[in-house]
Amino acid sequence: MSNLIKNNQTKGQLTRRSLLQSAMWMSGAVATGLGSWVFPAKWSHAAGPIKVGIATDLTGAISFGGIPCSRIAKLAIDQINADGGLLGRPLEMYLEDTASNEQIAVGVVRKLVQRERVDVVLGGITSSMRNAIKGIIVGRGRTLYIYPQLYEGRECTPYLFNTGPTPAQQCDKLIPWLIANGGKRFALPSANYVWPHVLNEYARKSIEENGGEVVMEEYYPLDQVEYGATVKRIMDEKIDVVFNTVIPPGLGPFIKQLYEAGFLKRGGRLSCVYYDENALNFNTPQEMEGLASCLDYFQNIEDPFSSELQAAYQKRHAHKDKVLFSAGSGSTGMYRGVKLWEAAVKEAGAVDRDSVAAAMDHAKIANGPGGPSEMLPGTYHCQMNMYIAVAKGGKYEIVSKADQVDPKECG
Amino acid sequence: MTLLNRVAGAHPGTSGRLSRLLAIELVVFVLFALMPLLLGLVWSEDDSFFWIVFTTKVLILCLFGLSFDLAWGYAGLMSFGQALFFGGAAYAVAVMSRDLDISSIFIVLPVAVAVGLVLAILLAAFLLTGSRTPSIIFVAFGTLTGSFAAERLARAWYYLGGQNGVSVTKALTIGDMPLYEGVGFYYLAFGFLVVVYIGCRFLVRSQFGLLLAGIREREERVAFLGYQVQLTRAIIFALSGAIAGLGGGLYAFHEGFVWPALMGPIYSTQAMLYVMLGGVSTLIGPVIGVTAIEFATIILIDYLRDFWIIILGVLLLLVIMFRRTGLLGMLVSERERIGSFRWRGANHKSDSRGD
Repeated sequence: MSNLIKNNQTKGQLTRRSLLQSAMWMSGAVATGLGSWVFPAKWSHAAGPIKVGIATDLTGAISFGGIPCSRIAKLAIDQINADGGLLGRPLEMYLEDTASNEQIAVGVVRKLVQRERVDVVLGGITSSMRNAIKGIIVGRGRTLYIYPQLYEGRECTPYLFNTGPTPAQQCDKLIPWLIANGGKRFALPSANYVWPHVLNEYARKSIEENGGEVVMEEYYPLDQVEYGATVKRIMDEKIDVVFNTVIPPGLGPFIKQLYEAGFLKRGGRLSCVYYDENALNFNTPQEMEGLASCLDYFQNIEDPFSSELQAAYQKRHAHKDKVLFSAGSGSTGMYRGVKLWEAAVKEAGAVDRDSVAAAMDHAKIANGPGGPSEMLPGTYHCQMNMYIAVAKGGKYEIVSKADQVDPKECG
Repeated sequence: MTLLNRVAGAHPGTSGRLSRLLAIELVVFVLFALMPLLLGLVWSEDDSFFWIVFTTKVLILCLFGLSFDLAWGYAGLMSFGQALFFGGAAYAVAVMSRDLDISSIFIVLPVAVAVGLVLAILLAAFLLTGSRTPSIIFVAFGTLTGSFAAERLARAWYYLGGQNGVSVTKALTIGDMPLYEGVGFYYLAFGFLVVVYIGCRFLVRSQFGLLLAGIREREERVAFLGYQVQLTRAIIFALSGAIAGLGGGLYAFHEGFVWPALMGPIYSTQAMLYVMLGGVSTLIGPVIGVTAIEFATIILIDYLRDFWIIILGVLLLLVIMFRRTGLLGMLVSERERIGSFRWRGANHKSDSRGD
């Protein structure tokens, strides 16, 4: 999901220092350069610690996702260590800042796989970041790579496992729901990059199969902020559902103009599948009233384990800043990824890549954000529970839950 | 040493001892040649491997820097299009390896060179061979536009991966042997750099080089003497495109990833910065410039990430303000920097000298 919310950096400019170094969770971390840290093992083992590499965007445009990703990874690793580690060995976390910059990322990920020789790498948020670092990790580095973010799918590289939702998981339940609760005439206004193109291809198929109709599908430059013509067309064409993949900075003006033109008043339905709790601040509540999203986790789902996890995250971090543990940032996929990998290592009884990958192929966890999850053999993707949520008065209301939705990738 | 000086086209007055410029060139290349061995002595295997891989990237970027120096330093073409040739070739080989499963070095690198060459010829045909004499500004804007358009095109073109770029997961192969990054790739890049460097060095100190120097200094006068000025420049431009293309092909496989910015104006500017810092129209200057900037960046970025780019900018500004000939200008004299141009008579007469 490239580029999403790129321009929506946290206001007030939190610095890396305040976010990372002064934070309690970084205690015990050894900085090995300004963008890299090691969290040393708590006990020693004859075979040495198991090294987990986390490469994510702690700074730059995508840091809204990278920061919670790194924190939830640390939380998961701490939990595993508290339970006695893996195979009796402690986990050691190597954190690298990919700085929302593919060129820097290539260098720091090399450091992880070639110098530190980590046993697994988790991270990357945007698809371009995944493309930049995957070759170094799985190709030349001969290491396992887990990519946590919701994305456009079609990543079927051996030794690369994806733990975020795919277009099928985001659309299969949502589209029929939108047709039932919105109408048949769809508009697909989109930002012009890979994720919207591929997602729309899937959504269009799904819309047509369910008796709907795509009246308009348009792609705009990423920096476009004026949507008057688009809004007019949406109103003139009597569109029922706006299935949006426009991203900030254009997103705010677009939603606002749509509201002002009376789209919601006449019963139109907004939908946007990357909307999580972070996105609730993008517009005023009345401008996005009734907006439907579909993700693997929302804060108010009924799942005791997820609530505990959210509480544990907030206990560590809530008092410092407003960086949320939410689905749109890749952090739910990150937690799922660490735990699925843990299950795979336990089953394999080893950490070498081929044994772990063989076990990872069908790894399964009973608890995770949003519920259980299981890798589908031979597909490098996992099934997970998906929730449809509707924005009401600036909050989400869960309207539907689907158990263990098939990712439909690499089949 | 006289012979060595003569071969290198050093200033004749320095015969009997090694010219300073030549000494610097030798030191730089000997250091690069011995680098992997030296690193192995100092560091652990993993650490030295990391630095070898890093230095391989530096060597590849040296080709990029060299190509800019050839265009600007020797033909007076302010080219903002070097990234277009570099990135264009990188994209071509990346897509070829993705879709056609071709990764043999004997196909990949010729294709990379050809892509750089063809793109440069097209751009040169458009910019240089028109009816009016192209000014520096015209060439700069023309190449800038080309580079900018290519980047935008790559961002929006789905086949090229759009914003996501193309990743190259396959290794370059020589016959059946895969060439991953490491010592092997290092010496491959080093070998290419040496060959290209020596080739350029001969070229710019030949009679053709004298013609180039003439064009650079006083274009009209050379034209009055009956030379095809724009054609000569186009030839150099094409050559510089081919060299950038070679670098791009190596870069795609070494870094394993190509993305739109690799063709863009910012990346082109980077080539310019390398050359400005190292020393324009010197050939060895770009090599020094690339090495200095890249090593300083990786070492300092860990400590000064937020400030590093500003420090670099100020440093460059100072160098350009006080030493227009860059770092190399601090070490060798102007006379030596320009050198002399051998001609058929082989005797160094005063009229065969440059400047």
